[in-house]
Amino acid sequence: MNMNWRFVTPLFCLLILGLPIMLGLPMKAHAHGVVIEYTVDMAIEIVATYDNGEPMAGAQVVVYAPDDPSTPWLTGVCDDQGRFTFVPDASKPGTWDIQVRKAGHGGMVHIPIGEDTVATTGAGGYTVLQIALMAACVIWGFVGTGFYFSRRRA
Amino acid sequence: MRKLMFVLAITVFVFSTALVGCAGGDRAMGTLQFHANGEDFVRQGFVSKDGWSINFDHVYINLADITAYQTDPPYDPHSGADVEGKVKVGLPKTYTVDLAEGGADAAPILVGEAKNAAAGHYNAISWKMVKASSGPANGYSLVIAGTAEKAGQSVDFDIKVDTEYGYSCGEFVGDERKGILREGSTADVEMTFHFDHIFGDADTPMDDELNLGAVGFEPFAGIAEGGRLDMDMAGCRTKLSAKDYQALVDILPTLGHVGEGHCHCH
Repeated sequence: MNMNWRFVTPLFCLLILGLPIMLGLPMKAHAHGVVIEYTVDMAIEIVATYDNGEPMAGAQVVVYAPDDPSTPWLTGVCDDQGRFTFVPDASKPGTWDIQVRKAGHGGMVHIPIGEDTVATTGAGGYTVLQIALMAACVIWGFVGTGFYFSRRRA
Repeated sequence: MRKLMFVLAITVFVFSTALVGCAGGDRAMGTLQFHANGEDFVRQGFVSKDGWSINFDHVYINLADITAYQTDPPYDPHSGADVEGKVKVGLPKTYTVDLAEGGADAAPILVGEAKNAAAGHYNAISWKMVKASSGPANGYSLVIAGTAEKAGQSVDFDIKVDTEYGYSCGEFVGDERKGILREGSTADVEMTFHFDHIFGDADTPMDDELNLGAVGFEPFAGIAEGGRLDMDMAGCRTKLSAKDYQALVDILPTLGHVGEGHCHCH
């Protein structure tokens, strides 16, 4: 009944250490471990300069989301190179407007995000009933014309 | 049978005409106001880049073809193109406005308003500065009247500009967002004029482009006679140095802004 511990011990250790890995359980590493987490987001970086190319260092930035164009969604300041980076809310597709101002100079950039900007050339605001009646008029025009010529032949 | 068909045809025609005529009748509407703003520089005065303390009695500007637009994609003044909007609202007349009216703390001047403007975001505006055919600015697109003082000297000035300009601008850039018109409410758009571009601003660094491009007031003081300057552009061309006159010609088209946002001048 004696088990061959020289064999069992390594097997047991392998099972104990390997089970969590096989089950996908998280493991904690100790000592000098480093935790680096990441998420994938689409960041927008703007670079604001004056007409002569000089960076708008320290310029005020106001970001407006598409669903509420009156209220700032985010405010911030450009860095020394005139750069400002933010991550828009992906649940708010549409045109994001970013205003940059400094000492009486300012501008605005408009960035479409998350939706195709397709020009709509639909029915021009007519209701279904209006469209149906217009179609009926056209059809009636053909029918009436048919009646007219059939009566002349008769 | 013929009578029945005739009645049916008439009925269909009347109903369809009425319904098509009503199309768009339920569109959301509001009131869009148009303001002109000479900013605190005009209302409160300022010190020019060359140290002249300038106060304005009147700044008459003659405005025409004032139109606000809903543009998509938003109009970019750097494109140099004309503004084209799916919705546009205009003022029908020519208006002479005194940007100095109302004192130091006055609100921007209400030029006019359009009732029953379609709701939406008016994110572009265009206007012209044309010669007035009557009134205090008769014959000129711009008349700048005031007093400049420096080191015991005083110059009463009337600078008259007869050149005409057209401005195409994008969205207002400033503390608040303008032009967003909701149903049943009132919104405004603004034509802003930067007179520090002509005279420069002592509170701005001298190496700033604003001051580098500005004429200042010293050249005007230099051609005043007996503390009085009454000069049109022809007189400026004759009496100012070629460099100063060219600086004036170059800077006048940059007066028009939308808040701090630049416009295309044509």
